Amino acid sequence: MTVPLDPGVEKRLGDLGQVELLVGIPSFNSARTIGHVVRAAAAGLAKYFPGRRAVIVNSDGGSKDGTAEAVAAADFSSPGTILVSHPLTPVHKIVTPYHGIPGKGSAFRTIFAIAGRLQARACAVVDSDLRSITPEWIELLLGPVIKEGFDYVSPLYLRHKYDGTITNSIVYPLTRALYGKEVRQPIGGDFGFSGRLAGHYLTKPVWESDVARFGIDIWMTTTAIADGFRVCQAFLGAKIHDAKDPGADLAGMLVQVVSSVFDLMETYRERWAALQGAEPVPLFGFPHGVGLEPIRVNVERMIGIFRQGARDLDEVWRSALPEEDLAALQEVARAESHHFPDPLWVRVVYGFAAAYRRRRLPREQLLRSLVPLYLGRTASFVRQTADSGAEEVEKAIQDLADEYVRQKPYLLSRWDG
Amino acid sequence: MWNDVMADVIGKTLTGFREDLAAFGPRLLAMLVILIVGLLAAGGLRLLVKLAFPRLGFDRFAEGAGVATVLRHGGITTPASSVLALVLAWSVLGVFVLLAVGALNLQYARDFVSQAFSWLPHLLVAGALVVLGVLLADFVRRSVLIAAVNAGLGSARLLAAIVHTFLVVLFAAMALEHLGVGRQVILVSFTILFGGAVFALALAFGLAGRDLAGKALERLAQGRDATGNDELDHL
Repeated sequence: MTVPLDPGVEKRLGDLGQVELLVGIPSFNSARTIGHVVRAAAAGLAKYFPGRRAVIVNSDGGSKDGTAEAVAAADFSSPGTILVSHPLTPVHKIVTPYHGIPGKGSAFRTIFAIAGRLQARACAVVDSDLRSITPEWIELLLGPVIKEGFDYVSPLYLRHKYDGTITNSIVYPLTRALYGKEVRQPIGGDFGFSGRLAGHYLTKPVWESDVARFGIDIWMTTTAIADGFRVCQAFLGAKIHDAKDPGADLAGMLVQVVSSVFDLMETYRERWAALQGAEPVPLFGFPHGVGLEPIRVNVERMIGIFRQGARDLDEVWRSALPEEDLAALQEVARAESHHFPDPLWVRVVYGFAAAYRRRRLPREQLLRSLVPLYLGRTASFVRQTADSGAEEVEKAIQDLADEYVRQKPYLLSRWDG
Repeated sequence: MWNDVMADVIGKTLTGFREDLAAFGPRLLAMLVILIVGLLAAGGLRLLVKLAFPRLGFDRFAEGAGVATVLRHGGITTPASSVLALVLAWSVLGVFVLLAVGALNLQYARDFVSQAFSWLPHLLVAGALVVLGVLLADFVRRSVLIAAVNAGLGSARLLAAIVHTFLVVLFAAMALEHLGVGRQVILVSFTILFGGAVFALALAFGLAGRDLAGKALERLAQGRDATGNDELDHL
């Protein structure tokens, strides 16, 4: 199905003809930050890919705060500041609204379509609210594609040991166990990919589904891995973007991310059922660690909600978990020490995945009931690693990931049972 | 003479009885035949549904739709297909009973059958209201329970139970009102119950729970979720 583009954009594409590199920036009311992102992208293209035809595409969801004007005004023309002496190749810019269901996925779809029309060989997409993006990000996201022949570049960020607990306790270890690739942060948000992969994405019938609304990141990573494309990672350093929306709802986030992962499990069942083990993927960039400011975590409140869940949500959890696991959860809730062991947590996630597939309860209710379990697990992890450094915490996450692999037969028995 | 009169009266009575019996007998027989056919039809339908519906996935569908859970809450542990089979069988039997009564061709029987059939649509709508109400109440109860637990509200179960009871009572009242059973009583009782509950909550919330209400509103306004002031980036 062709992706609708505005007449002005169609003309622009006709004038441009063909490019080698494309950087896509989806946006919605990002006027405050998008200028910096555009300048960093332009500088990156100028410094690391001189002489190659490139375009920056802003796919916008109807911003009313002057985002399009900020993109148009953002320019980079100072070779001295990026320490190059060659003339800078002009970087073309396209600002286009996207059509379809409001969401990042629809914005990406427009970018994929433009990449196809311009026959771009290598593409990257970056968030419009990034404050920590540097020109080096562009090299790290496009370089492995254009120079090494990879199809997909997943980001690897420097994070606080407690950040990304949904990724660390569910998405990463589950994706690793299912699809056999150690992509550490599969829902990073900034990616590189080949024009070939962009064309493949467009063939999938997902653009009227939740993928278009909120599931695009994990969908891109999983599709690239499961459909056999060459995947690698790039270390980008710290990711700093606009302050988290204080009204962001944990339950909503968990439902969106986990439902996307579980939906993909149904799509790729034949693929993941046959796979065993996991292998590392190549990493580009220069991994390093710096001290990060401590963050406040309200462990007592998490434990309180978990214990209340154990008391009040037994009837809901019963639709997903067998008696022995329910009994084990009650023991965890009763114990003063509050230790949520890895094997139990893995069985919980696998049980919920199977129950999600069987639709024994409305899916959103089922996943919302996972929140107290997730908080209980997170609280246990935070307590367990309170005195640990980043390396020890990473080892604990890898141990959990190995447990997911060990218990894959259990998942298969629950899934097919 | 007396004997002749007696013989004449008795003879006429017996003759009349024989004639009435001769006229009524076939109708009685027809009624019995219809009842027997009805019993056989009801039994056959029940057996058919009990055997076929599980194979067609009806029980799995009932689990997914929440019907099975509602039945379990009502103390019914047999599969949903068995319950459906029983309901259908009794419905079929009921229809045949009405037909059998109609076969007697008595005026009051005809009036009864006519009233029964005209009342049937109301009964079906009322039944549908009750079933819908119970399903909806169960769904909303579960949603409220999960949301309240995730928000860290200590009285999550009580809140969920209140919402569930309210919805069940509401739909039951609607069903009874539709059937025309005690219309005024239902209306007045519901108004008193609902109005009283709202008034009591307003007093409790407004007077006794002023501080608590203020804190709850403050939390809502600042959009804090279950994790309070965490600086954790969960994704």
